[in-house]
Amino acid sequence: MLGYALDRLLTLVPTLLAASLLVFLFVRLIPGDPAAILLGDTATPDQIAALTRELGLDQPLWKQYVLWLGNILHGDFGTSIFFGKPVLGVIADGAGTSLLLAVTTMGWILLIGVPIGILAAVRQGSWIDQATSGLAMLMASVPTFWLGLYFILVFAVGLGWFPSSGFPSITGEGGLLNLRYLVLPSLTLAAPNAALIIRLVRASMLDVSREDHVRTARAKGLHPLRVAIKHVFRNALIAVAGAFGFTFAALVSEAVVTETVFSLPGVGRLVVQSILRRDYPVIQGVILVVVVFYMFVNLLVDLAYALLDPRVSLK
Amino acid sequence: MGLRTWLKLAVVAGVATNIAGTAFAGGTLRYATIGEPPSLDQQVITSDLATTIAHHIFEGLYTFNAAYEPVPLLAESETLSDGGKVITITLRKNVRFHNGQPMTAADVVASLQRWGAYGSRGGLLFDNVERVEATGEYEVTITLSRPFGPWKNLLAFINGGPAIYPASIVEGASKEPLAPDGYIGTGPYKFSAWEPNRYLELVRYEDYVSPEGDPDGYAGRRSANFDRLRFIPVPDVGTRVAGVRAGDFDYAESIPGDLYAELDADPGVRTILNGGPIFGLVFTNSKAGPLKDNFALRRAIQTALDKTAALRVAIGPESLWRANGSFYPKGNVWYTEAGTENFSKADPELARRMAKEAGYNGEPIKFMVSTNYPFHYDTAIVYTKQLAEAGFNIDLQVYDWATLIEKRAQPDQWDMFFTHHGFVPDPILISVMNDNYPGWWATPEKEKLKARFTATADPAKRRAIWAEIQALIYEQVPTMKTGDIYTYNIASPALEGLAASTLIWPHFWNVSK
Repeated sequence: MLGYALDRLLTLVPTLLAASLLVFLFVRLIPGDPAAILLGDTATPDQIAALTRELGLDQPLWKQYVLWLGNILHGDFGTSIFFGKPVLGVIADGAGTSLLLAVTTMGWILLIGVPIGILAAVRQGSWIDQATSGLAMLMASVPTFWLGLYFILVFAVGLGWFPSSGFPSITGEGGLLNLRYLVLPSLTLAAPNAALIIRLVRASMLDVSREDHVRTARAKGLHPLRVAIKHVFRNALIAVAGAFGFTFAALVSEAVVTETVFSLPGVGRLVVQSILRRDYPVIQGVILVVVVFYMFVNLLVDLAYALLDPRVSLK
Repeated sequence: MGLRTWLKLAVVAGVATNIAGTAFAGGTLRYATIGEPPSLDQQVITSDLATTIAHHIFEGLYTFNAAYEPVPLLAESETLSDGGKVITITLRKNVRFHNGQPMTAADVVASLQRWGAYGSRGGLLFDNVERVEATGEYEVTITLSRPFGPWKNLLAFINGGPAIYPASIVEGASKEPLAPDGYIGTGPYKFSAWEPNRYLELVRYEDYVSPEGDPDGYAGRRSANFDRLRFIPVPDVGTRVAGVRAGDFDYAESIPGDLYAELDADPGVRTILNGGPIFGLVFTNSKAGPLKDNFALRRAIQTALDKTAALRVAIGPESLWRANGSFYPKGNVWYTEAGTENFSKADPELARRMAKEAGYNGEPIKFMVSTNYPFHYDTAIVYTKQLAEAGFNIDLQVYDWATLIEKRAQPDQWDMFFTHHGFVPDPILISVMNDNYPGWWATPEKEKLKARFTATADPAKRRAIWAEIQALIYEQVPTMKTGDIYTYNIASPALEGLAASTLIWPHFWNVSK
């Protein structure tokens, strides 16, 4: 398994090189001049040209790319044009929020999706199954921006239970209590993803429940709950594990709408704002980091398959 | 984190929110902004959001009172000699920068020189400046090449204006905005922290020495009552409004017109109109395309437009807009009706005839607009329909703002573009007065009037010449004003000391809760 993991890590290198080139070129293809945006409406062409020179954006593209790549190899992702701070620091701050949001959301997804999915499979065809299917459809179809605003209106404005927006760092004032800022956004983000897991757990369990070893277990007179958990759910987990992995990776990059509605300082909002500001170093940095994150989670999912199912061999 | 811990936190959170909120919010003003400023360097940045924050940190030699008259701030007094060509400014003597250094003439000279060389609006004054020198420890002398009437207004306008920094900060500074460690001013609050995407925070400057006199606009006594001012980026308007209602924010900016009636009637929220209206502008291209030099065709386009209808669609409640053709609102010293009979004729048939007489044969007219500002896009959609009814072939090109800014610098890319303008206290600061602003209006008639306008400091003469310039704008149509828009912000009713309306940017000295 270790050899497989090392092989996979080596394949990251060419993939990352290709990704860096694509990101660099695509970002530069978007019309819009960072210097003009920074200086505002009254800047003269001479002033814009002067700042463009100071930022090094007047250099040939290949030169800018080589310089950027060289700096990355030395751990320097450059300086944000907008914030004037090191890109890595800006990303790290956003990534911390995004990861916390993703972990919290995964918690909700597990809490909501797995038990309801199991229940729907065990009670296949009953009113419970019908009700959970309807609930899953509702959760999947309600737009997250609407759900988020509704949560804010009910739980922040109406009941005053949770803050309406923002997320102060858990290492600063307020400490771990600041996690309460993530309750509403994580529930918002969890809703459509939990719906997916409900449906997936149900479908996988129904597939597995038709297999011979389950019939044998039932024939032995095992308690239905024991059959459902130990013999059906455990085997169904293999299909679900992949979905968990991809959902987790996707949560980091798909949280843009939720981060905007709740004003969370995550990477999703950071990349959107950076595109609007044409903050090239931040856009490039964030996308590269997200690519690495996706590939890393992908690798973990593959390794998890081997752990969950001894028949899977990694080569 | 364990599941049980998480569940505990979720349960505790509801109880804890109010307690924690009270404990952390004491003495802090929490202002929900639409985004983040590009920088707080007032000399080179013209973003209104930057000024909203930065004018608590930085001060200029002059500022504006409630009547938009320039009055001393860091200056104490001034004398003019040699027919208005030599301006000698005496400085207040007890002012200290946030780094503890006293403010002297050397700091003012260095700041003015950097602003003159690199400042966004510095060229307007410094094109007429021969030299700036310290003629005493607390005396600065500006020698002009010719009398320049708007000098005091330009020194008082902090947005892209001559904020005073320590000489050690601005000597050697260029066009690149200063980094946060250079945010050293003389204002009632000093820069504390900027956490990207989280907040920007100012703290009270304990050694601040306030100017004297009753508060009057931005002038007079300044008392920093809050311990901290925290500016929090909240891009979603629904969240900004909900945040004020929930008590998470004390103040929120840029609220759309369609919520005005509801919020104005809500006792839990206070609406605050911005006193200086913004106005939309449709610029025409004087360098290339079918509108270049064809003033008759431009007038035909303006004749087709029903600006009242567009304002109703784009802005909403009638209390938030005025179909005002003057570049200044009624009651302002610069208000004039010169030329405004052509502001909104809404006559498509007349426009069709005028266009034909101007030689228009249905050539496409490229009209650029951005979706970043909803009222730009909504207005442009209405105008496009109105112009089509009058026989114009409008090629509406929709971009994001960054793209539009880049394209408008290229004369062959457009014929008209939509933008908006903030309230400015002197017409010389309106972008159409700048020959280099995209549109590039620099006809001999304009240049003659502009020279006369800036050569005199006599207010009555300047007002009369401005009326002539406004009439010329309606004759040559380098830009079409779309009407006055009164944007508004909302505040918690707990805030005390807020004026009924803001002058240009909201300020929070003399405010408490």
